[in-house]
Amino acid sequence: MTKRVLMMGVALTGMVAASVALAEPTGEMLAQTCAGCHGTRGELSQPSAFMPLAGMAEATFVKAMKDFQSGARPSTLMGPIAKGFTESEFQAMASYYAKQKK
Amino acid sequence: MGVAMSMNNLARREFLKWLGASAVAGAAVGGKSAFAGAQPHVVVIGGGVGGATFAKYLKLYEPNIKVTVVEKNRQYLRPYGSSEVISGHISMQDITVSYEPLQKKYGIEFVFDTVTDIDFNGRVVKTAGGTSLNYDRLVVSPGISFNFAAIEGLSEEVSDTVMPHAWIPGKQTELLAKQLKELPKGGTVLLCPPPNPYRCPPGPYERAGLIAQYLKEHNPTAKVIILDPKNGFTTDLTMLQAWNRLYGFNIPEAFKGYSVKGLTAVGFSEEEAKRQLEGFKPIKHDKPGMIEWIMGDMGGRVVKVDAATKTVYTESGEYKGDMINLIPPLKAGKLALDMGLADSTGWCPVDRVTFESTLHKNVHVIGDACIADEMPKSGYSANSQAKVCALQVKALLAGQEPAEPVWQNTCYALAGNQTYGQFVADVFRIKDGKIARMANPRYLPLDATPVQNSLAALYTHAWMKTFTDDCFA
Repeated sequence: MTKRVLMMGVALTGMVAASVALAEPTGEMLAQTCAGCHGTRGELSQPSAFMPLAGMAEATFVKAMKDFQSGARPSTLMGPIAKGFTESEFQAMASYYAKQKK
Repeated sequence: MGVAMSMNNLARREFLKWLGASAVAGAAVGGKSAFAGAQPHVVVIGGGVGGATFAKYLKLYEPNIKVTVVEKNRQYLRPYGSSEVISGHISMQDITVSYEPLQKKYGIEFVFDTVTDIDFNGRVVKTAGGTSLNYDRLVVSPGISFNFAAIEGLSEEVSDTVMPHAWIPGKQTELLAKQLKELPKGGTVLLCPPPNPYRCPPGPYERAGLIAQYLKEHNPTAKVIILDPKNGFTTDLTMLQAWNRLYGFNIPEAFKGYSVKGLTAVGFSEEEAKRQLEGFKPIKHDKPGMIEWIMGDMGGRVVKVDAATKTVYTESGEYKGDMINLIPPLKAGKLALDMGLADSTGWCPVDRVTFESTLHKNVHVIGDACIADEMPKSGYSANSQAKVCALQVKALLAGQEPAEPVWQNTCYALAGNQTYGQFVADVFRIKDGKIARMANPRYLPLDATPVQNSLAALYTHAWMKTFTDDCFA
């Protein structure tokens, strides 16, 4: 049992090493940066000027961020913020938020 | 990190890592701890934005860790947005935040007491009331304190009675609000921002705008003079433009921000900078406006004050004020200084990935007090640092490597009235071992539409609620 657990541990280490090499933060890490406005885990306790992100379809999230980044969608603050992230990071955030309950 | 480990240690770490990964399942099935030994205990000193957010998010990320917050006040007064108490838009009650949700919803223990000692070797926090708390990891979020001695004639007593800073909300906030209401007709308000680095970079200027707006409505012949050691500030390009439009403000000749160099420095491309500058036509007001900005190069740095005559002496002259809001130079919170967590700069050096103190092991320092390079000392920064630190502390306690971090900061600021908003927005990552800002544009462009400014004001107010919830509820 112990040996098997240790082997799983080694496998996990490999995955961690790979993600460190790419230096791309996890979806959970990326998503925390949005929560100051969009709510913890993308949930808002009451209607707000901000868009709740919890449960948003992945494709909707990614398209919105790409359009903010390119300027196709006019914005105040989201344009500047979107320019600070990559497309694969949009995907990681989208995947995180799609899993959060509305 | 990256230190060579013995095989035994490595095996143990891998084992713990596996256990950590199965934490949620383990808790659901057997209610057992995710950790090999006893349930880890993380103690947090300071229940401000950094400490509260850290405690909440550590519980969210890993419910099997015991979290205790030591905080001296029963309720929190939020500093962000508190200048609106001075201008009378909101009350002290509106900036008062309860710790109840953190206790009831997340099971975070609170000890309302003052820390008197930290035994870094024995890993024990002691309080004035006689409580001893053993910790596996300690997170310190001590905020700021003031260097009154840096200015001749200034003292804590002078701040409390004549020249309030109100940079930590409390009685001084109420005193400033009262002084503004009682300002003589046509009186002078002196507002003295601190030198860098300081909490809330756009804050002193937002406050100047809010005061000017109040005066415009209630005392239109009065004025605000800003006596500044600096030649620029975060959001200066959009803030000065707004004052030029709203308060008859003349942009000083000495200000160099409206240039290709100035605009590319805040993330706009050269082409975009040229385009914006071509359309930038500030109004030339033929009489002094309601706000005057004596910047560093104009001799604005305060060197001495005289409380008895309400006079502020700068490098270029002396100014008498009917109301004086002087924010002294800042340093890390007293606890950090007393416990030896700060270096000769007055701020706390930390590992930029984990926020672990480079002076004491198993202790993390977050928020305004820590040295975070290009990240500003702001509420949003403290909140983002707290979440990164929570993920790292969770990983470290489970024997895992820390994660690749990313942070964000947004400071919304009003130009003065309630419908003209602006902001600075940044994403930060580790670059060469330091925290670096990404090259995105940081501000609204100079040709932002009135709708964009009014939306930014709407978001400023919406943020007060969503941000407070993200930290405290």
